[in-house]
Amino acid sequence: MSEKLIFERNSHGARAATIRKPDVPEYEPSFALRETFDFPELTEVAIVRHYTALSREAFGVDNGFYPLGSCTMKYNPKLDEEIAALEGFTDIHPLAPEKSAQGSLAVMYGLSEALKEITGMDAVTLQPAAGAHGEYTGLSVIGAYHKGRGDTARKKIIVPDSAHGTNPASAAMAGFEVVNIPSDEEKGVDLAALRAAVGADTAALMLTNPTTLGLFEKNIEAIADIVHSAGGLLYYDGANLNAVMGIVRPGDMGFDVVHLNLHKTFSTPHGGGGPGSGPVGCKRALAKYLPDPRVIKNADGSYSFAYSADSIGKVSSFYGNFLVYLKAYAYILTLGAEGIRRSAEGAVLNANYLKAGISDLYPAEGGARHCMHEFVISCSRMKEEYGVSAMDVAKAMIDYGMHPPTMYFPTIVHEALMFEPTETEDKATLDEAVAVLKAIYETAHTSAETLTGAPHNAAISRPDEVLAAKSQKLRWKK
Amino acid sequence: MSDYIPVTARERAEMLAAIGVKSVDELFEDIPAGLRAGALALPEGLSQQEVYEKFKNIASENRLYRSYMRGAGAYRHYIPSVVKAIASRSEFVTAYTPYQAEMSQGVLKAMFEYQTYICLLTGMDVSNASLYNGATAAAEAALMTKDRGRYKVFVTDNVRPDVLAVMKTYLTAKGMELNVIPSEDGATDVSALKALLDASAAAVYAEQPNYFGIVEDLEAIGETAHAAGAKFIAGCNPISLALLKTPAECGADIAVGEGQPLGMSLAFGGPYLGFLACKEKEVRKIPGRIVGETVDKDMRKAYVLTLQPREQHIKRERASSNICSNEALCALTATVYMSAMGKEGMREVASACLSYAHYAARKFTEAGLELRYKGEFFHEFVTAAEGASDKILTALDARGILGGLKLNDDELLWCFTELNSKEDINEAATLIGGAL
Repeated sequence: MSEKLIFERNSHGARAATIRKPDVPEYEPSFALRETFDFPELTEVAIVRHYTALSREAFGVDNGFYPLGSCTMKYNPKLDEEIAALEGFTDIHPLAPEKSAQGSLAVMYGLSEALKEITGMDAVTLQPAAGAHGEYTGLSVIGAYHKGRGDTARKKIIVPDSAHGTNPASAAMAGFEVVNIPSDEEKGVDLAALRAAVGADTAALMLTNPTTLGLFEKNIEAIADIVHSAGGLLYYDGANLNAVMGIVRPGDMGFDVVHLNLHKTFSTPHGGGGPGSGPVGCKRALAKYLPDPRVIKNADGSYSFAYSADSIGKVSSFYGNFLVYLKAYAYILTLGAEGIRRSAEGAVLNANYLKAGISDLYPAEGGARHCMHEFVISCSRMKEEYGVSAMDVAKAMIDYGMHPPTMYFPTIVHEALMFEPTETEDKATLDEAVAVLKAIYETAHTSAETLTGAPHNAAISRPDEVLAAKSQKLRWKK
Repeated sequence: MSDYIPVTARERAEMLAAIGVKSVDELFEDIPAGLRAGALALPEGLSQQEVYEKFKNIASENRLYRSYMRGAGAYRHYIPSVVKAIASRSEFVTAYTPYQAEMSQGVLKAMFEYQTYICLLTGMDVSNASLYNGATAAAEAALMTKDRGRYKVFVTDNVRPDVLAVMKTYLTAKGMELNVIPSEDGATDVSALKALLDASAAAVYAEQPNYFGIVEDLEAIGETAHAAGAKFIAGCNPISLALLKTPAECGADIAVGEGQPLGMSLAFGGPYLGFLACKEKEVRKIPGRIVGETVDKDMRKAYVLTLQPREQHIKRERASSNICSNEALCALTATVYMSAMGKEGMREVASACLSYAHYAARKFTEAGLELRYKGEFFHEFVTAAEGASDKILTALDARGILGGLKLNDDELLWCFTELNSKEDINEAATLIGGAL
């Protein structure tokens, strides 16, 4: 029996949390008061039981294998959570005097320095609250840079058709026009199309490397050359950095601006969809345009905030998602230089092992090439032969207690499933995933309807999404 | 020294053999040799114990005050233990965005509850599943109002500076114009506003209570906006809404705000929670995730992410916003907080804020400070004393009290919540009297 909503547990007169009774006279306000206030009344036991029941209808990395491509669902260390819960960090007011917040400033400075080194950039802002927010910030910095040079014609951002949806959406939000370019046969950037697209109106090319196909963009040097020769800049979508951190740096590949996802690459938890953190790094010429404020280290070893007259301004209140910085910084200090490289190697090893294990039944994009931290398979043939779609395979995995891979992305691959096992899975788990995917393939030709009806053992069967959009029940009502 | 890689050396060898390569390095052969990074200039990894000790030390370089009298956009409230206990359950903490509804009903239901709570709190029809923080929520709300010839957004200079700054960044990029109007005795000057609004006005944004703590006449501001054909966006403190007229009652088309007071710690500014709710007619323009109720194949009640054609992964450059990850765990935190406080608890918190702030205002004026503005206030107020700001803050700081925020040499912005007490306010009043 699935848990009902908290509003259906309302019990008139019940109380849970209580506060100290004020020891000053009660103030009677003269301003207009609201007419009704319809919050539910609940006991603490009812609340705890309710949300514990909801937690049993949720699935996180701690529950099992989570090969969600492009999302880097690696293990989130408990140590980092404990550090971020220390009162010396949680109880600091963002507008406390700098001298009272030296610890917080030291964390921001230290993390920024580490991220500069990992990305090969000259300056970093931590302020963006998520990856898409980082894209927006990075592109705004690029816009300010061109404008700062008096080059006001650069209004276009070039985006490959394999890009994450946030790339074109962020470009539009930052005030740019988007130029989509097709991929070549190997699903990399089509150099001819890129040459045709660049010009005096090009602000930047946005690129993920490894690409969303999980393949390293081999032509990266040629791409950088084409874009830079046209006067444009190269933007690195850091969603896939986990494959190459410590091995090749965006700054060395020719990228001018990069955003990172601390909630992917640096193992801070996703929280069911946030809070994340999307720091942006850039080369020296762009540094003065980064959001205000940034943290600097003074000659006496103390830290303070610094402001730039050319900054694009603020993109977040205060300084962004501080507690997330703590977790990422703790992770980086735990791993160290070697551990960072080993993690990337482990991610690539695990992905190639999983790919090899299922390749006879589910051939991956990229042919004989090794994948990076993730790979994409197409279920087109399965669909034709047995009527079993990528969605059916994904939903069947739920019945085996595994989170499905990313479905129908990238859109340039039909019936796509994108697997990213990450480095924190052991061999036994990967072997089990191979066995599960083989069993699903077997079921496809013995009893396809079992798959098209999956999942059978979850809290619900497949939901009617069309009805959800049509009926628009977006809140509980009595 | 530590890492989180469980594959053993022997397993690695087996795995490489299964892949058909001799070394891990071969897997990276697509990367041009000339681009390879050498060893990163980062310290060697530490043991878990060392990392913990290091951060304990760093935390001790921050100063914890005995008493806090500062808000200005970040508010310190009592956080019930049940909130932390539930919000740290790893099924919630380590889950991704609930794309796979069948194994994410718990997360989806919590978001649906959050949306309902925000609607109950604001009186609005529809809430999204969260935005990054109050400042980006206000900026996203302003972007929703752009409509053909309407591109100007009007605000008074009494909104929170970060909200103003973020709005400016967002609006400029989208070809909208931010117009800042001087306040009159700390409040929105409705007649000045009226004179400026014309057919190019997209929206008016006002905060309740405003940056100076004053309770605004939102209805008058809303009427003025609507008379010019502009939308009205209200930025609200969620705790104050347990008592104050709702944005819906005041005619707002969109209500936004900083959700941090609903169970989130100060945390040096984040993660916080941006809430955004609107009238039904604006729903197609709403940014970010929304959870809807539906049924599954077996006609059982079910919850899913819905109205996705607004979003970036479908619409790409024509999406209503670029937002993907939001602040889901903070929204869960707020949901549990509102459940734990309940109807009476929410009112008691709001009432305690009000009572302590007014008690403090009385004691501080008795000690020699002046109230800068005449308007009725909620839990923040501005005091004035010529050239005294630093002297007062230093005197309080020496006794472990974080005083009001310095607005200038004369003015301080104070905040009081249920965590203050008669004793700490009396002590502060005495120190202020001594400093003047």
